Amino acid sequence: MFKKYISFIRGVSVNKLGLTGVVLTTSAFVTFIILELTRVLGFITNAYVGLVNYMLFPALFVIGLIMIPIAWRKRKRETGKSTEQLLQEQFEKRETEGSFLGSRIFRTIAIFTLINILFLSVLSSRMLHFMDEPHFCGTACHTVMNPEWVTYQASPHARVKCVECHVGEGVDALVNAKLNGLWQIISLTFNLYEQPIPTPVYQLRPARETCEKCHWPDKFYGQRIKRIVDYEYDSLSTPRYTTLSLKIDVGEADVRRGIHWHIAEENEIRYASLEDEREEMIWVDVRQPDGSFKRYKNTELVSEHESEFEDFRILDCVDCHNRATHIYEQPEKALNERIRKGLIDRSVPFIKKAALGAILPIYNDTASAREQIANHVRGFYQREYPGIFRQKFAEIDSTIAVLQSIYARNIHPYMNIRWNSYPGHIGHRGTGGCFRCHNPNMIDEEGESIPDDCTMCHSIAAYGGNTPYQYLEPVDTSSQDYIIHQYLKNEFLESAAEAKNNQEQ
Amino acid sequence: MKKIFILSALLCLLVFGAGQAVDPEVAGKCMTCHKEKSPGLYKQWYTSAHGIHKVVCLDCHGAKQGEPDAYMHEGALIATLVTPKDCGKCHKKEMEEVDNSYHATAGLILESNDAYLAHVAAGHPIAILGCESCHGAKMEIDKDEYNKLSKECWPNSGIGRLNPDGSKGSCNACHTRHGFSKAQARQPEACSKCHLGPDHPQKEVYEESKHGNTYYTNVDKMNLESDRWVVGEDYYVAPTCATCHMSATTNQPLTHDVGMRISWTLRPPISIKKDNWQTKRKNMKDVCKSCHGSTFADGHYYQFDASVRLYNDKFVRPAEKILAMVHEKDLTEYPANFANEIEWVYWELWHHEGRRARHGASMMGPDYTWWHGMYEVAKHFYFKMLPEARKVEDAEINAYIDSLIANDPMHSWLTSETGELQERIRSGEMQKIYENYFQGE
Repeated sequence: MFKKYISFIRGVSVNKLGLTGVVLTTSAFVTFIILELTRVLGFITNAYVGLVNYMLFPALFVIGLIMIPIAWRKRKRETGKSTEQLLQEQFEKRETEGSFLGSRIFRTIAIFTLINILFLSVLSSRMLHFMDEPHFCGTACHTVMNPEWVTYQASPHARVKCVECHVGEGVDALVNAKLNGLWQIISLTFNLYEQPIPTPVYQLRPARETCEKCHWPDKFYGQRIKRIVDYEYDSLSTPRYTTLSLKIDVGEADVRRGIHWHIAEENEIRYASLEDEREEMIWVDVRQPDGSFKRYKNTELVSEHESEFEDFRILDCVDCHNRATHIYEQPEKALNERIRKGLIDRSVPFIKKAALGAILPIYNDTASAREQIANHVRGFYQREYPGIFRQKFAEIDSTIAVLQSIYARNIHPYMNIRWNSYPGHIGHRGTGGCFRCHNPNMIDEEGESIPDDCTMCHSIAAYGGNTPYQYLEPVDTSSQDYIIHQYLKNEFLESAAEAKNNQEQ
Repeated sequence: MKKIFILSALLCLLVFGAGQAVDPEVAGKCMTCHKEKSPGLYKQWYTSAHGIHKVVCLDCHGAKQGEPDAYMHEGALIATLVTPKDCGKCHKKEMEEVDNSYHATAGLILESNDAYLAHVAAGHPIAILGCESCHGAKMEIDKDEYNKLSKECWPNSGIGRLNPDGSKGSCNACHTRHGFSKAQARQPEACSKCHLGPDHPQKEVYEESKHGNTYYTNVDKMNLESDRWVVGEDYYVAPTCATCHMSATTNQPLTHDVGMRISWTLRPPISIKKDNWQTKRKNMKDVCKSCHGSTFADGHYYQFDASVRLYNDKFVRPAEKILAMVHEKDLTEYPANFANEIEWVYWELWHHEGRRARHGASMMGPDYTWWHGMYEVAKHFYFKMLPEARKVEDAEINAYIDSLIANDPMHSWLTSETGELQERIRSGEMQKIYENYFQGE
């Protein structure tokens, strides 16, 4: 068989071009098989190997194959001989005996073609499969995608493939994505893309087709407790608790109230935003099934330019959950989170203060960031608290490592991604969030504004308190806080009772 | 002393009385949202004496049906403006004192030359921000605004603000909202929001004086947060504006009527003694004597009175007379006031330079008394006012000026020899010209 193959390829290598084609095809095939075997068997895990294997070798293989008939034709034209003459010239007599279709050479060509077709179809299916892997999306365009890749891996959707949200199902989705990819390769090659990549991503698949596959809209969430711990910048990094009971779904299943009222089937919310950026609203309206609607306009926008927009939008999941996956942290929140998890040791005096000072500046590059963060924290203690520096050396060092990882996750100098480059819209701390629409400047025709009452969306069990449920504790009438305490306690209990009644009904 | 304690006790009762009247359900809601949406405001209030004594949002901002600036906000009828009447529900004595004070009349400036000048020479926006910020605006109701207040007058915290409820002033002109800190109101910076600049540099004079000097050196020893703040007892290192003009001494109570210790009017072109000036001077000398001997206080007034009389007679009376003649004879080029150079010269002579001289003298600021003050008055009287007057070429006016220079011993130096004048200074003859100004109180 091998001998036969050798004689065959010798036969088709009619000139240098043909030889190159044969060598290319053969070596690409062999290397692909070897690499794929090592990958499948787990000897190599580097994603780049997969990329090379699925992109480069198949391409070389096909190019080689195309070169062979081109070389043949060229030879034919140069020598002026017929195919038959050439065949006889190139191959042994027994190979070309009989009619052309019945000859051995024809059978050989047919078998090889069949193998090639089989190989290519397996290959392309594996290639598509490979390109569906998050590894491919995250690492193929390394510099551009790295920030999203890093934040994706640290997100609650880390096990959901990129393509499930960004491409969707069906041939048209695939073609669309591949055409987009083609443009992205061009803009990457010629440096035509913006840094940071502007958001929102308009080509994202509709939430109906993506989010709602897992988070089906009929699911009734009820009230959910959210606990937030903020640590102060004092020597103890004292914890301050904020505990909210989020009224995600209240009311009855068929007449929804609460935060997910926005996505109830009977309500359609449309909005137009300044420059279509979904940050500053021009108007918001809510439509009922009978076609009636009420529109709120932003009274803060006065100039004509400000009321221009390309397209209105029908509100869906991602208008609020805009960073459900690629979550960039705010520096203070990142620190709170690490302290809460015990990754940063609160027994080191002023650790949060020192930590924030270290991660806030934007350093030139990743290497100097690592160095400067370490210098900042060590310098702070050496200068201000040399005693602590000696005593808590190990804790300070481990904090530095945590800070470096926070920085590496959130700050990406090459892509100009800094703190708050990509604000999240869930909630309203530090960014627009709910308050983009729920603010006193959004006014309807009767002069009513969209409500922004705190307890409309959440009961408050603690707000910057010393304990996580400060307002559920007994009311102390002699305390300065008793009025707010009494009010929030009553509100919490009433809301909880209402929710319970609804569930029992 | 007793009075102070009784008053404090009464105030506390009033405070608690007010606290009870508010529906805690609504009050709790105010706090919940504002803690989040205006956290600075909330914290200022929370750490203030009001916060500690449970005086809540609605105690001050709660409004009654029918009040012109009342509006519904998140289920509560409230008013943005907190007027002295509102504060007076608890702080009655203070409200009454302020209402009787000169401060409360600051908003009635529309008829003054100052307001006229701002409106003609600058324009309405400047009158709002430049004049009314300190003096107080007339609060106009605008039903289309969310808080029912016209944007042309809100925000405004002027000390003489004309409020829709008829009251005058705004306590937070000095007691900055929402902390209403005693310590803050006791410091000179509380007054210097308005009392500074070329026309009334009280802040700068104070800074130049020994009083300001020791204050800034010892500000940490001023006991500014103390509930009781009696000079000589609770603090002693330096006086602030409040010490001399308002605060308690061992003999007199705190007053919110800033004029109770002022004997001269140093504001108008010609200074005069105020009504009851003897009592007022006695009050001020009482403050002086907390830290100085009586000869010191008497001596100060001896020197200060002479300076004011000198300014009155030597410069401003002749200048006023000259300008009056120009106006009577209709000799100005343009009819409107301030359309002619001489009107600006006269204006600055008394309104800027003359006040600087008098304020400098009253508060022991040497540089303001002379170089920023009387030096400028003299220079502009001789070399701006008189030449401008001569320009109209009126025989009577020229004769008046000539006679002033020839016959008034205070001005006749202009036509004398330098050497001769120096000799007269050395011999004390020159000083004798001003002897009369030291006569009497």
